[in-house]
Amino acid sequence: MSDDHDDDAIRIVEHTADWALRLRGRDLADLFARAAEGMAYLLAGDLSAVSLDEARDVTLEAYDAEDLLVVWLGELAYWAERDGLVFPVAQLAEVTPSTLTGRVRGGRPPEMQKHIKAVTYHDLKIRPTERGLEVTVVFDV
Amino acid sequence: MKSSDFKRLTPYLYEIPATYRADMRVPARFYADAELLQQALGDKSLDQLANSATLPGIVAYALAMPDIHQGYGFPIGGVVATRVPDGVISPGGVGYDINCGVRLLGTRLSRDDVTPWLDELANQLQRNCPHGVGRGGEFALNRRQLADVVRQGARWALAQGYATKTDLERTEEGGCIAGADPTKISDRAYERAQDQLGTLGSGNHFIEVDVVDEIFDETAADRMGLFPGQIVAQIHCGSRGFGHQVCTDYVARFQRVVHQYGIELPDRELVCAPLSSPEGQDYLAAMKGAANFAFANRQLLTHLIRRSFEDALAGKVDDFSVYQIYDIAHNMAKIEEHEVDGRRVRVCVHRKGATRAFGPGSPVLPDIYRDIGQPVLVPGSMGTASWVLVGTEGSMAQSFGSTCHGAGRTMSRSRAKKEVRGNELRRELEAQGIHVRAGSLSGLAEEAPRAYKDVDRVIEIVHGAGIARKVARIVPVAVVKG
Repeated sequence: MSDDHDDDAIRIVEHTADWALRLRGRDLADLFARAAEGMAYLLAGDLSAVSLDEARDVTLEAYDAEDLLVVWLGELAYWAERDGLVFPVAQLAEVTPSTLTGRVRGGRPPEMQKHIKAVTYHDLKIRPTERGLEVTVVFDV
Repeated sequence: MKSSDFKRLTPYLYEIPATYRADMRVPARFYADAELLQQALGDKSLDQLANSATLPGIVAYALAMPDIHQGYGFPIGGVVATRVPDGVISPGGVGYDINCGVRLLGTRLSRDDVTPWLDELANQLQRNCPHGVGRGGEFALNRRQLADVVRQGARWALAQGYATKTDLERTEEGGCIAGADPTKISDRAYERAQDQLGTLGSGNHFIEVDVVDEIFDETAADRMGLFPGQIVAQIHCGSRGFGHQVCTDYVARFQRVVHQYGIELPDRELVCAPLSSPEGQDYLAAMKGAANFAFANRQLLTHLIRRSFEDALAGKVDDFSVYQIYDIAHNMAKIEEHEVDGRRVRVCVHRKGATRAFGPGSPVLPDIYRDIGQPVLVPGSMGTASWVLVGTEGSMAQSFGSTCHGAGRTMSRSRAKKEVRGNELRRELEAQGIHVRAGSLSGLAEEAPRAYKDVDRVIEIVHGAGIARKVARIVPVAVVKG
């Protein structure tokens, strides 16, 4: 993945001040896994340089699906800041609009490229499409 | 939005009428000239400004400064005042970097004194002042000590020997906002903060050594100790992960209660609650705590800058001491009294990427600045000028005592990274005589001067509109980027 890359699932979109990702997935679990991968790319750049030797179990609850997405990415951003780890691979056993259960895999990148202050709710809406779901997430950096 | 949707009120002030959208409660006004107006129309910033005019309890009009650009929820450069106590408070209207702000430090040195040692000074600043992604500092604090910082702000630093009384006198709110409550802040925020006090962070944060290039107001400049050719220093940073977590926690908490208060909003990032509600009061107490953390953070960085000047210049110049000129916040919500429709009213002024700019006579200003107005510090982009202004009667009458906060971005970070190579930019800046120390070259590229508006144009507008007055222009000679 690169800034120029559009594999239809993860695309970096222009935002004047911050960073934004447009994400697509077959269902909530796929969308959330793509979101983790996309954010890991923003944080670390070259994901092929990130070893997958760290695994963490995740269980989250939220108010609705958009809230859950913010909580999910917020958890990963917190681990990036506190532990210096990124988790590009998410194996999500169950994602409902208000709960998430699964495991993430990742490791320490050679260099953390970016600090994500927060995941925002700005214009955050998970929308159905012909092929599944789509959302754009804006990060405060 | 298109140009027919608003009208020009004065040469530098435009208004979007409240009739533009059914959900707007008041008009939205923004300061611009023809060129900055076109730039503002190039992204979603004016739509975001109109969104901010929908907040319950908003007074008079939503405002945006000429450095307006697209943010999330509020535009960057936005000012919204809400009634106290029945209006709302919006964590997203303050932003994640609570009390991000600027501090200006003066010296008694001229450019000629420092030029031979500038490279060494840049090295010492880079060595002593932690900066960049993931860098912790030397002031690791436990939970009890962090709670003290939350309550005391820069006063904590004074008690520890990292500040002078004059530093605090010349800081907005004296470096400590009363009413901060450490119990309203989450465990996760304290965990994030453990080693972040006295660190710069990344993104657009910086420490800069500048030279006073031109004086515009002799009286005000003299009061601040500014003279042509003088070496000064700036710090731009905020409350680090501590403030980010406070905002994150309350934006999430407010999502769960906003509908209970019957509030409908065009953007979830604008989420808010009545000031008088338990959620509103808790956020206010937590935000004040994060603001105090930021005041302490800039104070500890001041301590490290003083150490750097000593390390680089002791024995080489007569006087390497560093004194404080002023410290301002540009992401904050504050309860203030302003005149609205001929009456004095208490309002909660949200400033998100806007600087408080109180005019002459304000009782909250330190004695030394009371008759000239509050110093306002407006950083440019590295490689371009920064400005020292003062607040005016005009800012009190027009903009709830507020003015601009910077140049304002005009190019996305991803586009800047595509168009600018960090190593080439560093060479360009070095060729201009600016010593650059950066946390990362890609981060440097994102902050390239061409990604920002022309700060001099922004200043001409706030000066021309009367919501601040020019005092001095300063230009960089050394930059440490986060």
